[in-house]
Amino acid sequence: METLFFAIITLVAVVSAILVITCKNPINSALSLILTFFCLATYYVMLDAPFMAAVQVMVYAGAIMVLIVFVIMLLNVRVDAHKKQTHKVALGCIIGLFTLINTAFLIFKSRAAMPMGPYNGSIIKQIGHTELIGKEMFTTFLLPFEITSILLLVAIIGAVILAKKKI
Amino acid sequence: MDMITIPAVNLTPILPEIILSVLAMALLLINVFVQSSKKTYLSYISFIGVVGTAVLVGSGWGTHIESFSGAVVQDNFATFFKMIFLLAAGLAILIADQYMEREDCNHGELYPLILFTVVGMMLMAAGTDLMTIFLGLEVMSVSLYVLAGFNRANTKSNEAGLKYFLLGAFSTGFLLYGMALTYGATGSTRISVIATQAGQMGMSSGNILFLAGMLLILTGFCFKIAVVPFHMWTPDVYEGAPTPMTAFMSAGPKAAGFAAALRLLLIAFPTLQADWSQLLWVLAVLTMTVGNITALRQDNIKRILAYSSIAHAGYALVGMAAGNSTGTAGILFYMLSYTFMNIGAFAVIILVGKKGESNGNVQDFAGLGFKHPMLAVAMTIFLFSLSGMPPTAGFIGKFYLFSGAIQKGYIWLAVIGVLNSAASVYYYLRVMVYMYMKDPTEDFAWTKVSAPIALCLVLSVAGTMVLGIVPSIILQYAQEAIKLI
Amino acid sequence: MSIPILSILVFLPLAGCLLLLPAWNCRRLARPIALVVALTELTLALWLYASWKGLAVNPFPQGFLLLEDAPWIPAFGIRYTLALDGISLLMIMLTAIVFCVGLAVSWDSIKERTSLFLSMMLVMEAGIMGVFLALDLALFYLFWEMMLIPMFFLIGIWGHGRRLYSTLKFFLFTMSGSLLMLLAIIALHLLYAQQTGVSSFQLQELLKVQLPLETQLWLYAAFFLAFAIKFPLFPLHTWLPDAHTDAPTAGSVILAGLLLKTGSYALIRFGYPLFPQAAQMMTPLFYSLALIGIFYASLVAFAQQDMKRLIAYSSIGHMGYVAIGIAAWQPVALSGAIIQMANHGVTTAALFCMVGMLDERAHTREIAAFGGLWGKLPLWSFFFLLFAVTAMGVPGLNNFVGEFLILAGTIKSSPLVAVLAFCGIVFPLIYMVRLVQEVVFQKERQPLSLNDLNPREIGILAILALLDIWMGIHPAPLLEMLHVPVQLLTGGTP
Repeated sequence: METLFFAIITLVAVVSAILVITCKNPINSALSLILTFFCLATYYVMLDAPFMAAVQVMVYAGAIMVLIVFVIMLLNVRVDAHKKQTHKVALGCIIGLFTLINTAFLIFKSRAAMPMGPYNGSIIKQIGHTELIGKEMFTTFLLPFEITSILLLVAIIGAVILAKKKI
Repeated sequence: MDMITIPAVNLTPILPEIILSVLAMALLLINVFVQSSKKTYLSYISFIGVVGTAVLVGSGWGTHIESFSGAVVQDNFATFFKMIFLLAAGLAILIADQYMEREDCNHGELYPLILFTVVGMMLMAAGTDLMTIFLGLEVMSVSLYVLAGFNRANTKSNEAGLKYFLLGAFSTGFLLYGMALTYGATGSTRISVIATQAGQMGMSSGNILFLAGMLLILTGFCFKIAVVPFHMWTPDVYEGAPTPMTAFMSAGPKAAGFAAALRLLLIAFPTLQADWSQLLWVLAVLTMTVGNITALRQDNIKRILAYSSIAHAGYALVGMAAGNSTGTAGILFYMLSYTFMNIGAFAVIILVGKKGESNGNVQDFAGLGFKHPMLAVAMTIFLFSLSGMPPTAGFIGKFYLFSGAIQKGYIWLAVIGVLNSAASVYYYLRVMVYMYMKDPTEDFAWTKVSAPIALCLVLSVAGTMVLGIVPSIILQYAQEAIKLI
Repeated sequence: MSIPILSILVFLPLAGCLLLLPAWNCRRLARPIALVVALTELTLALWLYASWKGLAVNPFPQGFLLLEDAPWIPAFGIRYTLALDGISLLMIMLTAIVFCVGLAVSWDSIKERTSLFLSMMLVMEAGIMGVFLALDLALFYLFWEMMLIPMFFLIGIWGHGRRLYSTLKFFLFTMSGSLLMLLAIIALHLLYAQQTGVSSFQLQELLKVQLPLETQLWLYAAFFLAFAIKFPLFPLHTWLPDAHTDAPTAGSVILAGLLLKTGSYALIRFGYPLFPQAAQMMTPLFYSLALIGIFYASLVAFAQQDMKRLIAYSSIGHMGYVAIGIAAWQPVALSGAIIQMANHGVTTAALFCMVGMLDERAHTREIAAFGGLWGKLPLWSFFFLLFAVTAMGVPGLNNFVGEFLILAGTIKSSPLVAVLAFCGIVFPLIYMVRLVQEVVFQKERQPLSLNDLNPREIGILAILALLDIWMGIHPAPLLEMLHVPVQLLTGGTP
């Protein structure tokens, strides 16, 4: 049952991802992207990570996509009539296919044992997923968490410098 | 629910980062109150800050302190690289002011961004956790994207910023994916834990997850250090970015990429050495050859140095492919020498250039040797050093790297490297031919050399020559720095 | 030894460059400064020559007369080692003389950027002195590359014709060769470190490395390539005619008189002793390249229209004899080769000077432009005849001594080579006679109003002529000086 569900979700994810890059209309692309994000959120749920799923929906499908759609509408992007570049597409398909086959072959070939991380399903159930993330964030990953603040600051400065009309 | 106990935190290892960040934020505030004609003061403040931080970093030599439960470390390796970053930033700050004034984009935000870049680079060199390294890399990259596009009025600069941003973001994807796979294979993001897990479970190239993780991480770093075939962005970005930032970009971030890549490859992935060593062999050959051959056909001096910087990354990769103590210490030494000679060369380019990024072709250097002999002598020293002639720093650096390769048994790699070096001589000499052997096509409208640029030139010449004549001073530090790895 | 006289020899010219700085814009002051520095070098060299017998009483190990040694880059085991023996002493004297000649001959002809010219000459002198004295391979490589840089500027800035092409060609040719040698040096150093656990670049230490034949061949090939380009041996000689022709007179004098000698000297000092078996195996190749060079260069020389180019090609031919003398690796032939290096240095320097002097007067070097100079420039013609006759190898003049010793030594080990080389001696006769006949004796072809030599030029040429005759008549003191090192090199008992 779970496998079937996974297969369906995956199918939707892949098809919508393809639609993102094939749609001529940017709005359609953006909407397909939202669909992809929802599929990803479903994966998180299936992996016992409800918090991540919620974040995925709120941040990506909610905030970022709204921004993208706004920008598209504000800029009033026209649908460009692209020249068809069949041989480039063909080349891309060949490379993609090759990579896919290669990856599949390697994955099926190697079945080495992987070590488990410190948290398995039962511990997550016992303590709670959200709490664990919070705990990790303030213990093991305290420094990276703090660096993120600098990263955001830099990004804000950058946006101001590059985009503001007069500085 | 139990309370979260925050682990004991020793701030010593990240004290330089904290100081620089605080200074950068303070500069942002000060900037608001400084008139646009007096932004020079900001450069003085930030230069003093960089020098002070360098003193602090230098005083930590010889110590080994882990902090944040193993997310960051202060060891000789990190200290050596931090000094390189600070040097690159210091020199870049010295040459920035005059250029930015000339190009009418002397916005005060430049200096905080340079300092933030240094913070990012420092975290990359000191990080012992994949997350620290990744976030350090991001802080560095985001600052650099902005710095590349800093000259907003110039279309080429805009293009550089955008191109760097798109390709950089793309490469970050590779890096992050690689880190995720490595986490999946070993169950940790701590480099030390990865190493022990890989050692215990005997993970080598048979473990596809582990191998793919390494390869993708390597790809990510290869983008940052402009290794062929991931070098496409380099010439355009280097040409378009404001010249002082090009100088900074070609020295600092490259060194940071090597720092993080070395730490990861040598500590986390020693079990895969056979694989990455061979891979780097090929990449080194490609990088050197493509860089040098393409540079032969360039006329714009910034593009020449961009391609030459690709070639130099190739020489450094020779040392990384060797992966032994001589090769890796060679990289440390080479990055330091490269910082001196390359930023020095860019300082001369800034002085020869004119408003609007013009006067940047080799032909514009015609007759420089007799119009401005001292400047030309400095440029000559930098170019000879870049081409690896003794007695300059570039020679000792190459000597070191190729020694490493021969020691490892990669004779052909060394031979290809040396032949490349011979080919590279041609385009460096071409600049000299113009400087000394052709008459100027037009009169030099001479901008006067401001004191900071003069200081930068003096420091660079001194560094290039001292490292070439008495390299022992630095060699022993480089050798000590890689002992831990 | 309290005074580091060898270091003074190397670094005095560099100090001279600093002395030039205050007089940078004053040509009248700069020229004497440079000349005084060069003369001081000459005095030092002659003083060493006068006292070499005294020094030979208590020689350093390996028969060195003087040795200066200090650590330089301990991390790699690179030391600053300079040493002097008979061979290097001869070369040092040649260097000092040729540089005095070079400075004197360009006294008036270099009118622009004189100070830069003079400092380049002095840097060059330091580099060449270093090459002849260095015993540590890393130090040797440093000086070896250091010679290139000033020569690049000398040809490029003050040259004629296609100077940019020539100087780039010269630089790239020599640089590629020496870079491969650098790899071989590193490899040798690492093999030594592997075998003994100590790192060193000193020749005396590296001689102890045990090398399998195959390794030896590869390493020797790298060294040989670098030296053969400088030499220059047949297929690698193409840079030489261009560089010589387009260089200013002083540049040609130094190129022909000294730079070519660094190749042969290094082969004697480093190539053969380090890789004896490989060198032995490569001898047939070496012989044939040298012979081809002799014949080929002579034939090409015959067809030249430009006097400077003709002399340049004759240089290749003459260096072919030096190559044969080295390839025989036998005491008599080797002494002959070394003597011949000095002889050729003096003679060719003189010939290039003379062509330069003529060029300054007539502003052309076309053979066809001249004729009947005997009547118009009697002094010039006299000296030219003398040096041309020397180049032909007439007994009593210095080239004869060298060629005779080389052939006498070679005939024992490989008679065929000696016979062929002997046939080659005829060629210089032909093209030099043609040159002299057309330029000096034939009827005047176009009216040129020329002044004869001035006292400065007479002085230069007279000194060179005296040297030429002295070395031709009485080479015994020089041969005596070479005796011990040559015996040590060829494995005989001194």
